Amino acid sequence: MSAVLKLEQISPFGRKLAWVISGLVLAILPHAPHLAPWTLVLLGLAVAARIFVEVQARALPPKWLRVLVAFFALLGVLFTYRTLNGIEAGTALLVVMAGMKLLETRTVRDLTVLVFLGYFALFAGFLYNQELLRLPYMLATAWLLTATLMRVHQSTLSMPAREAAGLTGKMVLQALPLALLLFLFFPRLPGNFWAIPARAQASTGLDDELSPGDVSELSISSAIAFRVRFDGPAPPPSERYWRGIVLHDFDGRTWRRPMPLYIPQIVRPVGERYRYRITLEPHQRNWIYALEMPTRWPDTAVRTADLQLVTRRHPIATLTSFDLESSTAYVVEAPLPTAMRNVDLRLPAGRNPRSLQLARELRASVASDEAFIEAVLRMFREQEYFYTLEPPRLERDSIDDFLFNTRRGFCEHFASAFTVLARAAGIPARVVTGYQGGEFNPLGGYLIVRQSDAHAWSEVWLDGKGWVRVDPTAAVAPERIERGLDAAMPGHEPVPGRVLRNHRVLSNIRLAWDALNTFWNDQVIEFGETQQRWLAERIGIENLGVRQLGLAIALTLALFFAALAMYLAWRFRPLERDPVQAVYAGLCRKLARANLPKRPHEGPNDYLSRVAAARPQLARELQEIRSIYTALRYEPAPMLARLSRLKFLVNRLRVTRT
Amino acid sequence: MLFAMFLGAMNYGNNLALGLTFLLAALGLTAMHHSHRNLCGVTIRTAGCDPVFTGQTARFKVVIENTASIPRYEITVANEHGEAPPQRIEPGNHALFEISCPAHTRGYLALPYVELATRHPFGLFRAWSVLHLDARCIVYPRPAERGRTPPLAETDTGSTHDVARGDDDFAGFRSFQPGDALTRIAWKAYAREQGLQVKLYAGTSTASHLFDWDSLAGMNVEARLSLLCRWVEDAYHAGRPFGLKLPHLIIPVNVGPAHRRRCLTALALFDHDERRAEA
Repeated sequence: MSAVLKLEQISPFGRKLAWVISGLVLAILPHAPHLAPWTLVLLGLAVAARIFVEVQARALPPKWLRVLVAFFALLGVLFTYRTLNGIEAGTALLVVMAGMKLLETRTVRDLTVLVFLGYFALFAGFLYNQELLRLPYMLATAWLLTATLMRVHQSTLSMPAREAAGLTGKMVLQALPLALLLFLFFPRLPGNFWAIPARAQASTGLDDELSPGDVSELSISSAIAFRVRFDGPAPPPSERYWRGIVLHDFDGRTWRRPMPLYIPQIVRPVGERYRYRITLEPHQRNWIYALEMPTRWPDTAVRTADLQLVTRRHPIATLTSFDLESSTAYVVEAPLPTAMRNVDLRLPAGRNPRSLQLARELRASVASDEAFIEAVLRMFREQEYFYTLEPPRLERDSIDDFLFNTRRGFCEHFASAFTVLARAAGIPARVVTGYQGGEFNPLGGYLIVRQSDAHAWSEVWLDGKGWVRVDPTAAVAPERIERGLDAAMPGHEPVPGRVLRNHRVLSNIRLAWDALNTFWNDQVIEFGETQQRWLAERIGIENLGVRQLGLAIALTLALFFAALAMYLAWRFRPLERDPVQAVYAGLCRKLARANLPKRPHEGPNDYLSRVAAARPQLARELQEIRSIYTALRYEPAPMLARLSRLKFLVNRLRVTRT
Repeated sequence: MLFAMFLGAMNYGNNLALGLTFLLAALGLTAMHHSHRNLCGVTIRTAGCDPVFTGQTARFKVVIENTASIPRYEITVANEHGEAPPQRIEPGNHALFEISCPAHTRGYLALPYVELATRHPFGLFRAWSVLHLDARCIVYPRPAERGRTPPLAETDTGSTHDVARGDDDFAGFRSFQPGDALTRIAWKAYAREQGLQVKLYAGTSTASHLFDWDSLAGMNVEARLSLLCRWVEDAYHAGRPFGLKLPHLIIPVNVGPAHRRRCLTALALFDHDERRAEA
């Protein structure tokens, strides 16, 4: 088949189809990473098949085949996602259906439907990701889709892409003010109409399981976990412990979170309190990171018995902010319920025997729990233990292997080992994961906490003192706590962002970009009732309600329609009259006012001669006007400069009534 | 679709999705205005309609002029029988549209209405305007089936035509006179710069006819008109001279397209109210 494709050979419909396909593919492309691969393959096959049909001028696949494929595709989605609901299954369904629609696309109407599917894919894309970086791509794709929609509906000669892009661009600019005002004024409903299903897909971030190597793996990522803006000064770096998940169950290698008991715990703040707003990047889980220890939280959150803050209803699937208050110094009021004590003393039978023995011996040699803790920390500090991002793999009895053999580990190794030793010594202990530290962005005045700040530490129960944080990493690598991972790691360790941080300009650019993103997050993505209220107060409306907003929307629409109608009337104004003709018409009006109207049969020559005869004092001017007019009209290459002379003469002419 | 998007965006509290929804909605409203303006203020006028026979489709010509300073896109005219292909009209230009209307009865066929429409820019809205234009088309009677030959009638054959003319054998040229059928002009001779010559044929059918209404007594009016129409058509296409005799009107024997039109129009408007008014 020597079908060398030439552009002229493609039918107008084929060209439209090609544009629609490219718009659709661009709209679906951002979904590629989280879609089941087979849906993309199916779409690709459908695109290929449709192009083949068009180029070879074949018939479309028969209806029974299309129905069959669509049916199995539907089953496939159901099988892959176990549901047809939610964003993921919905997107997969959208992609599959776009492919199926492509196979039956024959008319302009079908093409329109495909463009609309493209819009829907863009929409779903925003549900996944609202990053500023993504916006230009999304807008460009929306523009392309709209221009394509216009070209699809040009039935005569196909409209050049540039013209369509220009026209739709202008229309988008005209629509933009209305869209913006609608966005500002439209009443936001608190909460959701229906539950947002959690996404199955794992995102980077801490999990409710902790195995050796988990945190160090996470530390490679410089993705942002959350941002914090303090009312007032931020706590010193060594106190920036962002409490996340509390883990209780240990199986000898992995820590898991058991069912927390709902026993209210009273935390008495004793030190300085910090009020702040924390904006969490979506992590698909329901825990909320908070400065240790949270003392006040909004209604949408709840604090569990093990002092972990969680959302009341939905996991955090979108960028979400919480206003919290924490106190870095606190006392948990005694006593510890027996059930909880037992949970946090439990150790797997027969695992890590050497460690257990070490703990019992150590505990026997000292007088108190506090002294025991000090002894363990001293052991980490004084013996040969190393803090590293690339710890060696551990054997089945991971604590034994780490304490007596490899002696190299990241924070989770130390926290895990410490907790096991404490439990073995009869001290209730648990592992807490979260983040530690954060980078202050002076441009935006907030703290950025990244995945590389992920951390794990221990919490022990001391009678009389309550739950007390013990961070064994601080004993091994105090720089980690004071100045961050970068400072704690020797030069050859792969700390993320090290090059960036050490380069002043790059570092500033990075901070500026993050500040811009934060502004975007706070002002656009998080825009809601609060911001509406604030805006309303700025223009003097105190009690902003749905009524005022409705009025604003009605007003906006009216203004928009009026402005657009006026603009379009101006755009569609009649063609300009010939300027020479316009000046002559002005002269005729002027003379008519002086009772010297032009008679219908008179040309300029006759008319002006007659006027000159009637008004001899004007004869000279009229003569010049006549000669310039004649020249402008009848000379082969009239000098347009003379037009201004003509205008001047006509304007200066004073004709008196007689 | 927009509503589904709106619900989704509100549910997920997703401002960008909501923004996209509002943008598309605003774009829709803008498109509506553009659609309306695209149609608003065009100049429309009729440009006649070629006569047709009953049973054929009359094609009314409509000229639309764009006096605005920017192009108008996808302008079309439509009626209940269909829509003309949309055209783009540049500023200061005009476009010709044909709108069809089936001709069921002879006489005048008035264009009942015409809908000026556009689907520009996105095909989502159709702006339209119904206009009543003063346009009519003459509908000739339906030519009867071939078969019945016209009776030879008393004519002035021979007095003005010294050469018997038919279309069987080529007989020579004579110079063109107004009224001669265009099909008979010797275009090759004209190309040789020999002036306009008309080809003459010698034939057996020498008589020119005066088709007489009265010769068809016993038939109903429409059948008579049909038959007369057939005879006129045949004679015209054969290049034979013919005349027409109707109860109120006699059209003398003549040739040429103008003569044919005159005869057919007379048949079309036979017994027609408006024709009487004109007469």
